Amino acid sequence: MVVSSVMVTEPQTCCMDEHLDTVLRRMHRLGLRMVPVLDVAGRVKGVLSTFSSLAHIVPDYIVSGDLASVSFAPDIGLLRQRYTLVADKCVAEVMELAPLMVAPGESLLSVASTLVGSGTHDYALVIDAEGRLSGLISAGDVIAALMSMTKDEK
Amino acid sequence: MVAETVVHQSVIFGMQPLWLAVAILLLVYGFVMAEKFNRAVLSLLGAGMMVLGGVLTQQQAVAGVDFNTIGLLTGMMVIVAISQKTGMFQYVAIRAAKAVKGKPWGVLVMLSVVTAVFSAFLDNVTTVLLIAPVTLLITDALGVRPYPYLFSQILASNIGGTATLIGDPPNIMIGSAAHLSFYDFLMNLAPIIPVVFLVTLFFIWLMFGRDLSATEENRQLIMSFNEQEAIKNVPLLKKCLLVLALVIGGFTVAHQFHLEPATIAMSGAALLLLLQTWGEPLSAKEHAYESVMAEVEWTTIFFFVGLFIVVTGVEHTGAIGWLAEQTLAMTDGNFNATVAAILWISAIASALIDNIPFVATMIPMIQDMGPTFGGPDALVPLWWALALGACLGGNGTLIGASANLIVAGFAQRSGHPIAFMVFMKHAFGLMLITIVISHIYLYLRYLS
Repeated sequence: MVVSSVMVTEPQTCCMDEHLDTVLRRMHRLGLRMVPVLDVAGRVKGVLSTFSSLAHIVPDYIVSGDLASVSFAPDIGLLRQRYTLVADKCVAEVMELAPLMVAPGESLLSVASTLVGSGTHDYALVIDAEGRLSGLISAGDVIAALMSMTKDEK
Repeated sequence: MVAETVVHQSVIFGMQPLWLAVAILLLVYGFVMAEKFNRAVLSLLGAGMMVLGGVLTQQQAVAGVDFNTIGLLTGMMVIVAISQKTGMFQYVAIRAAKAVKGKPWGVLVMLSVVTAVFSAFLDNVTTVLLIAPVTLLITDALGVRPYPYLFSQILASNIGGTATLIGDPPNIMIGSAAHLSFYDFLMNLAPIIPVVFLVTLFFIWLMFGRDLSATEENRQLIMSFNEQEAIKNVPLLKKCLLVLALVIGGFTVAHQFHLEPATIAMSGAALLLLLQTWGEPLSAKEHAYESVMAEVEWTTIFFFVGLFIVVTGVEHTGAIGWLAEQTLAMTDGNFNATVAAILWISAIASALIDNIPFVATMIPMIQDMGPTFGGPDALVPLWWALALGACLGGNGTLIGASANLIVAGFAQRSGHPIAFMVFMKHAFGLMLITIVISHIYLYLRYLS
């Protein structure tokens, strides 16, 4: 089985110069955790995820220092203040620049090992030879395909 | 003698060993300052060139590595790597801020004191890595600009690190080369440090103190920090405090038992590695061990190894002896003038270049002055001048010490970058004042 037979086609996308707040609200409304970011030619430029947005909201000095955690600190209004600043940026400033990418003709084994090997991503963008977005494939899509195969065998 | 003959014949490109060694040293210095390559790689390349170029034999190169310095650094890094997981440093910082009820100037003073004290017993970089993020969190809560706090922490870390043998890498190198004990450093350098620190704080108050203010509401936020939550592992904390007490106690008495500080630090590190996972399964012990080893700053360790070999190469060719002669000629062999020259040259140089290679070069130069001044014992004030100059000089500019750059990195990431010239405008004059104080201290205590 290959990626193109499992992937989700025509996923929601956004543009690099869109206002982050607008895109985040759209993602919230549609229950999405990530959207691919495309240029005007439809080529993939990155991914905007709730995780990458949160990573910009949490002050870098907290996560990059030697603080084991900040459970000792009360809510000092820092996140709200930082959200206002970050949400005012455009998507290009916050998006993840190196998302996992796979080809439509790759095997399920290949994409599954790519997802697991990345250690952090549970989805990959499916890209054609011109760098345009063909679809999305997630760990859940792979598991669903495996379940359907097992069901057929039973 | 045979080895030396072979050495000189094998020098590449027909260059004299003296020029080749000096060229390698200058290249390593230059590239380290340019910060385009990893400094450990550069120093190891330089060390390799000293051997491949025939300046040193492999045996001479290995003999040039000061394993006392290497052992002491590695041992302390292991102890710190384990201790920092306990959260005790954050605990102390929060307690300190709450002790002054969140008053902005009081918080600045207390965090500076905490930084200085920790820096005296741990390395400066680790101290600021632990304290700077808490400081930024506190200044965010107080609603004050972080620059005065980070500025004072940079200065405090370098001042505190000057006080002890283990506080700053130059002191570790000087102590090892000159056979000066932890106790010697405590008795000779520590007494002047509170004076330097208080004078520095006074000038910081003049520059920033009067403008620091916070609302009552923000101060209450500080008071609602729960320092107990910062402690992550109470049993490990107890083990760390026990081992730290044993190690510091060990340092103070090591000399009497003819033990080198490296022995104490490495024994303490081994004991803490053993205790940290005592009673846990083998897999947990292995995992914890690997995790601690990953925290050790191997770049610094290998930088030192390469640097010792490079400097040994230069020393071997007689270049450093020549430099010592020139310095003595410049000061007319006057001891007081030589002490002053070493103090001030070290301070200015350390403000501008990495003080570790500088001190590595100065050590054999001072040793070469021994015969002129009546033997190694007579050189002791020169060692204190070098330590005070090299450590306090690091306060002069943002590139003067590694800790400065670490704090600058945090400031940048918190959205309050520290400009090189702004820092220098505030710090260079202050550094010169601390060197004047050090000069007076050296004069009154050793030279008058």
